[in-house]
Amino acid sequence: MVNPIMIFILFLGTAFLFALFDKIHRKFSFAILQLVLLINTFIAGQWLYKFVFTSQTPVMIFTAGFKPPFSINLRMGLEEAFILFAVNFVGLLSALYLSKSFKHSKVYPLVLYLMMIMGVNGIVMTRDLFNLFVFLEISSISTYALIALKENEQRLASGFKYMIASGLASVFFLLGTIFIYHITGTLNIDQIITHKSFVITSLGFLSVFTLMMSLIIELKPFPANGWALDVYQTTTSGVVSIIAVANSAGVFYAFYKLLPLIPHNQLLFIAGIGIVSFLFSNLIAIKQTDSRRLLGYSSIAQIGLLITVTALTRYLHVKSSTSLFIISSIFLSNFIAKAGLFWIAGIIKKTHIKEWAILRFKPGLLIIFGVFIFALVGIPPFPNFWAKWDLIRFLALSKLHIWIILILLGSLLEAFYLFRWFGSIVRSEQNEEQLLQPAYKTVPIIIFFLLLIIISIGIPIHIYQFDILPLLPIVGLLILSIFDFLPSKLKAIISMIIIAGYTLYIYPVLSGVSLVFAFIFLAGSFIQLIATMSRKGTDKGFFPLLVGMILSMGSLLVARSSLEFFFAWELMTITAYMLVLRGRKAEKPALLFILFSLAGAYLLLSGLSYAHVINFSLVGLGTIPISAHMLPITAFILIVVAFLIKVGAVGFHIWLPGSYAEAEDDTTSFMSSILSKTGIFGMLILLLFLLKMNMHHSALFTSMLGWIGIFTVFFGSLMAIFQEDVKYLLAYSSMGQLGYIVLCMAAMSHLGWVSGLYLAVNHLFFKAMILLAVAGVISRVGTRNMYEMGGLIKKMPYSFISVLIGIIALSGVPPLSGFGAKWLIYTALLEKGWYFRAGLSFFASAIAFLYLFRLIHTIFLGQPKPQHQNVKEASPFFLIPQFLFIFAIMAISMFPNLIIKPLSTFINPYFASTIQWQGNTLYSSLGYWNGNLVMYVTMGVFMLLLIWLIISIGRVQKVKQFNIVFAAERPFKPTTTHFAHNFYAHYKRALGTFVRPVTTGFWNGVGEWISSAAGSIRQIYSGNGQTYVLYILLYFIVLYFIMGGK
Amino acid sequence: MRYTLILGFILFMIGLWAMLTRKNLFKIVIGFSIIDTGVHLIIVTIGYLSGKTAPILDKLVTPANAVQKVVDPIPSALVLTAIVIGLAVTALMLSYVVRLYKRRKSLSIEDYRELKW
Amino acid sequence: MIKRLLIIVVIILLIVIFLPFMKNVILKDSLNELSSGYVEKSVSDLKTANIVTAVVVTFRGLDTLGEVTVLFIATAGVGLLLKRKKGEKSKKSDKRPASEILQTGASFLFPLTILFGVYIFLHGHLTPGGGFQGGVIIASAFLLLLLSNINFQFNHTVLHWVESLSGAFYVLLGLLGLILLGSFLNPKFLPLGTLGTLFSAGAVPLIYSFIGLKVGSELSNILDSMRGAEE
Repeated sequence: MVNPIMIFILFLGTAFLFALFDKIHRKFSFAILQLVLLINTFIAGQWLYKFVFTSQTPVMIFTAGFKPPFSINLRMGLEEAFILFAVNFVGLLSALYLSKSFKHSKVYPLVLYLMMIMGVNGIVMTRDLFNLFVFLEISSISTYALIALKENEQRLASGFKYMIASGLASVFFLLGTIFIYHITGTLNIDQIITHKSFVITSLGFLSVFTLMMSLIIELKPFPANGWALDVYQTTTSGVVSIIAVANSAGVFYAFYKLLPLIPHNQLLFIAGIGIVSFLFSNLIAIKQTDSRRLLGYSSIAQIGLLITVTALTRYLHVKSSTSLFIISSIFLSNFIAKAGLFWIAGIIKKTHIKEWAILRFKPGLLIIFGVFIFALVGIPPFPNFWAKWDLIRFLALSKLHIWIILILLGSLLEAFYLFRWFGSIVRSEQNEEQLLQPAYKTVPIIIFFLLLIIISIGIPIHIYQFDILPLLPIVGLLILSIFDFLPSKLKAIISMIIIAGYTLYIYPVLSGVSLVFAFIFLAGSFIQLIATMSRKGTDKGFFPLLVGMILSMGSLLVARSSLEFFFAWELMTITAYMLVLRGRKAEKPALLFILFSLAGAYLLLSGLSYAHVINFSLVGLGTIPISAHMLPITAFILIVVAFLIKVGAVGFHIWLPGSYAEAEDDTTSFMSSILSKTGIFGMLILLLFLLKMNMHHSALFTSMLGWIGIFTVFFGSLMAIFQEDVKYLLAYSSMGQLGYIVLCMAAMSHLGWVSGLYLAVNHLFFKAMILLAVAGVISRVGTRNMYEMGGLIKKMPYSFISVLIGIIALSGVPPLSGFGAKWLIYTALLEKGWYFRAGLSFFASAIAFLYLFRLIHTIFLGQPKPQHQNVKEASPFFLIPQFLFIFAIMAISMFPNLIIKPLSTFINPYFASTIQWQGNTLYSSLGYWNGNLVMYVTMGVFMLLLIWLIISIGRVQKVKQFNIVFAAERPFKPTTTHFAHNFYAHYKRALGTFVRPVTTGFWNGVGEWISSAAGSIRQIYSGNGQTYVLYILLYFIVLYFIMGGK
Repeated sequence: MRYTLILGFILFMIGLWAMLTRKNLFKIVIGFSIIDTGVHLIIVTIGYLSGKTAPILDKLVTPANAVQKVVDPIPSALVLTAIVIGLAVTALMLSYVVRLYKRRKSLSIEDYRELKW
Repeated sequence: MIKRLLIIVVIILLIVIFLPFMKNVILKDSLNELSSGYVEKSVSDLKTANIVTAVVVTFRGLDTLGEVTVLFIATAGVGLLLKRKKGEKSKKSDKRPASEILQTGASFLFPLTILFGVYIFLHGHLTPGGGFQGGVIIASAFLLLLLSNINFQFNHTVLHWVESLSGAFYVLLGLLGLILLGSFLNPKFLPLGTLGTLFSAGAVPLIYSFIGLKVGSELSNILDSMRGAEE
C-alpha cells in the first residue's frame, strides 16, 4: 500500500520542476501531468479497493515525526479514498479533454491545473483546521487563475466576482479558526470535535458559525451565489467541469468533516440552508436558457441537496453505512453527470439550450446526454434512484413530512427543466450542422458514461441483492439495442420472442389476478407487436424502448417487494416517456406525461415509505400477515392518488389526451389499451391490502374512489364527443373506460371486481382494435382530423369491420361482449346500492355512443374526399392483430363463461361469490345473462333488418359524389363547413359548461405562477459583484439571527 | 491588548466598507487587503500574552524558563502563512484588474455586469 | 441611497454579531498545553532556538509547504494573466532613464541586500526571520534594479532553474525524512547540533534556505510578470 502522502510528494515534486520539463517539450510535460494524475488515481483506487473489499480500517498519517496535535496529520478512510479516487480520476479525464488547450497555452495552466487537483486532495485528507485552510486556498487560488484560461472579458469579469466573494469567505474561515484555537487550544479537528461542548458559549458558537458559514458560502448557497453562476456560465468546459465537481467535492467534504461541530439541535437549520438552495436553484433554472448557466443552477441545487441530506441523516442518527450510501449515491450521480454534461457543452459550443438540437444528429452523444440527465433526475437504475428510495424511507420513518415534500418538489422542478431540454433536442426541427467530436473530448465522456452504467448495475445487485428477475426489463432493452441495426420486421419478431420467453419464465409465479394482468400486459403486447412490423426501415430506438416498457409491466406483476415494484414502475414510466416523445409533435405532451408520471411516482414513493410493509406487491401480499396498521391513511391516500394519475382520473387527466394522441399511432394503441391498466393493477393491490387490514373508514375511501371513477367516466366521455381529432377522441374515450374500471373496483364486491377485470380485458380487445384500425387509416389518409376523412368504407372495408365491431363492443349494445360488461357493471352497482352512480354511468354510456357513432359515421360513411381517391386498405400488419382481437371478442361474446368463470374463481379468495352459472347462463341476484341467447336474438333482429334493406335497395337512386351545389355561396373555408366538423355543436351548446377546461386552466395557472415566480426571484442576480458581496454578508447576518446567535 | 483586537475588527469593517461602496476595482482590492490585514492583526493579538517576549531563545530566554517567558508561537506561525496567502490572492486580484482594464478600459465594477440572472 | 443605507445597516449588524469576538475573549496570561509543548519540544527534540521557526518548518511543515505552493500558484497565475507571450517583444520604452545617483545607489545596495536576505534565511532558526522574509528581501533587491534600470532584463533561465530546483529540493528533503525516519518533513535526519549555533536544528536551515531561494525567485518572477503588463 502506498503511503497517501506520496500523493502530495508526486504533485509537488513534479509541479515544482514543471518549468524544466516544459523546456524539453510540451508533450513531455503534458505526459508527466497525465502520469501524475494516473498514479494518484491508482493510489486512491488501491485504498478504495482495500476499504470496500477487505476489512481495512482507516489509517492516520503523521508528519514531521510528532504525533498530533503537535503535527499535522492526514486521514485515509473509506470516504477519503472514495472522493480522492473520484477527484483524481476526473482530473485525469479532464486533462485529456483539455489537451488541446494545454498544448497551445503557456506552461502555467498545466501547473495550476495540477495544483488545483492537489488542493482538493489536501482538503480531503487533512485533519488540521489551519492546514485545511491552506489547502482550500491552494485549490481556490489555482481556480481563480484557471478561470482566465483562454481569457475573454466575461471570464475575467466572472473570475473577479468569484475572487472577491470567495476571498471574503476565506477571511471568515481564518477568523473562525483562530478563535476556535483560542478557545480549545488546538487546531486538530478530531480534538476540537471532542471538545465541542464549547459551542454553547456565545463566543464558541460565533466561532463555529463563522467557520461553517465560510464553507457554506463556498458551497454556493442560494441566494449568496451569483458569482458562482457566472463562473459556471463562462469558464471553458474542461475547467468548469473540474470546478463544478472536483472543487465542490473537496469543499463539501470539508463541510462534512466539520459538521460534527454543529450542535444537534442546529442541524435542521443547516438542512434548511441546503433545501432552500435546492428548491430555489431548481425553480430559477426553469427560466434559464443559457445551457451552462442552467447546468450551474443544477449543480448548485445538487450541492444543496447534499447539504440537506448530510445534515438530516446526521440529525436522525442514521446508521453510518446507510447514510454514506445515500450521500455518496447523490454525490456520484451529480459528479459523473455534471462533469459529463459540461464536457458535452464543450463539444456543442452553443450557449442557448435550443441550439443543442444539433445533438439530434449524433445519436451516440444524444444517448449519453439522455443518460446523464436521467441520472440527475434519479431514474432507475441510476444511483440517485436508490438514494432517493432510502432517503425518503428514513424521512418517512422519522415523520419529517415537510422535508419529503420539499425534496420531492425540488426534484420535480429539476426533472421539469431537464426533461424539457431533452425533449426540445429530440423534437427540434433544426437542420444538421457540422459538429467536431475530437477523440480527446469524446473519450472522457464515454468513460464516464460507462462508469455510470457499471455503477448503476452494480448497486442493485450488490447492495440490494437483486436477482435477475427485476432487472430483466433492462436486459431486454439492452438486447434490442444491440440488434437495433436490423430491419423493423426482424426486430418485431425478436421482441415477440423475448416477450414470449419472458412470459414463460415468469409464468410459474403467476396466479389468480396476476394471470389476468399478465394476459393484458404480455399477451396483449405480443399481439399488438404484429402491427409494429408495418414500420419501415430500421426505425432505431423504438423496439428497445417498447420491449423495455412491456417487460417492466411484467415486472410489476412479479415484484416481490415495494422496492422492486417501484423500480419496475419507474422503468415503465421512463420508457413510456421516450416512446411518447417519438411522436412528431409530442414535445409538449411528452413533457406533461413525464411530469405527471414523475409526480405520481414520487407520491407512490412517499406512500410506500409511509407504509409499514416492505412488500407492497401482489406476490408480497401473500407473505404478510393481516394487520390493521399496514397502511396508514397517509400512505393509502398517497398511493391511491399515484395510481389515479396513471389511470388519468378526472383532475389529473390533462397529461392523458395529448400524450396518447401525439404518440406514434401504434404506440398509442399500446399506451391506451395496455399501459393505462398498470394503474388499475396498482389500485387492485392497494385494495387487496385494504381488504386484508380492515381499515377504519375504508368504506368512505372506496365510496370516494367510486365517485372519482364515475366522474372520470362522465367527463372523459363528454370531452370525447367534442374532439375533431380521432386520436384525441379515442384518448378521452380511454379515460372514460378506465373510469368504469375504477368504479367497478371501488365497489369492493365480488361482482364489482369481476366486472372491472372483465372490462379491463375487454377494453384491451376493443381499444387495441379500434386504435390499430385508426392507425391503419391514418397511415393511408395522412390526417387525424375526422372531417378530412369520410367514405372510406369502400376503400378500407376490413378496417371498417374492425372499427364497427370495436364500437359495438365498446358501446355496450348487444350482442357483443361490451353488453355483458355493462350488464355486469350495472348489476354490481345496483347490488352495492350505488343507484345514482349507476344512473350516471348509464347516462355516460349514451354519451359514449355519440362519439362512437361519429367515429364510424365521419370516417367510413358519407362522401369520400377527392384526395382520397386512391387510398388502399391498411397494411396487413395492422389488420392481423385486429382480426385476432375480433376473434377474441366474438369468442367471449358467445361464451362469456370462458372469461367470467376464471375471473370469478380468481376473485373468490377475496369475496364471497354472488353469481352462479348454469351452462352458459350467468345468474346474479338481479337477473341472468346468456351470451349465446343474446347473440342469437340480436343476430336474428339484425338479419331481418338486413333482408329488408337488401329488398328495398332497388328503390334507391344513386347520386354521383360531386353532384352537389353549394347553393350559390362559396364557403370561406370548405373543410370547416363540412358537416363532420363540429359534429355535435348542438350538444356543445347544451353541455358545454361541463367541458370547459377547468382542469387545464388550473394546471396552466400553476405552471404560470411557478414560471413568473422564477422570473422575479432570479432578478436578485443583478450581475454586480459588489451586490453579491452584500448578499453574502446579509446571508451571514440573517442566518446568524435565525440560528439563535446571542 | 483588547484594543488591538478591536483595532483589528475596525480595520475589518473599514475594508468591508471599501469593498461594498467603492466602484473602482483597485479600491475594492485594497479594501480586501485591509480586511486581510485586520484579520492578521487579530491573529497576532490572540497569540499575545502580556508582558512576555518573542518565542526565540537568547540570553534572557533560556531553555529552562522559556515556557514562562514567551508568547504563544502558534499564531505567529499561522499569521506567516496567512500573510503569504493574502499576498497571493491580492497579486492575483490585481492581475485580474489589470487585464480587465486592458480589455475594456474601465475600472468601474458597474461596467462588468452583463452576466446575470 | 437605499443601498448605501443597507450597507451601513449590514456593517452595524456585523459589528453587533462580532461583539463576542471582542468582548468575550478571555485574555490569557500563560501558554496553553499545546504551545508550551511546542516550546519544550523545540528546545529538547529539535534544538531550534527560534520556536516560531520550529513550528513553521517542522511541526506545521505541511502548512509551510502549502504556503510555498500558494506562492508558486500565484506566480503561475500572474504569469498566465500578465506575462507576454514569447516573441511579443516589449515596445521600446519611452521612459527617461533613472538618474545616476539612483542607478549607482541601486547597484551599490543590490549585493548588500542580497547578502542580507541570505543572512536572514540562513539564520531563520536562530533569529527573527526565515525563508519567507529572506526571500522577500532578495526579491526587493531585484525590485530595486527594476526601478533603477529601465532596460533591466531577468535571466529567465537562471530564474527558472533556481525556482524549480529549490522547490524540488524542499520536497526532496521532506521525502528524506519520510524514507529515513518514517515521517514526511521530519528534519531530524541531519544531526541536530547544539542549540543556538548555525549548524543546529537538523535540516531546518537547509529547508529554510531552499524556501528563501524559492520565495525570492518566485517574487522576482511576479515582479517580472507585472512589469510585462505595463506599457
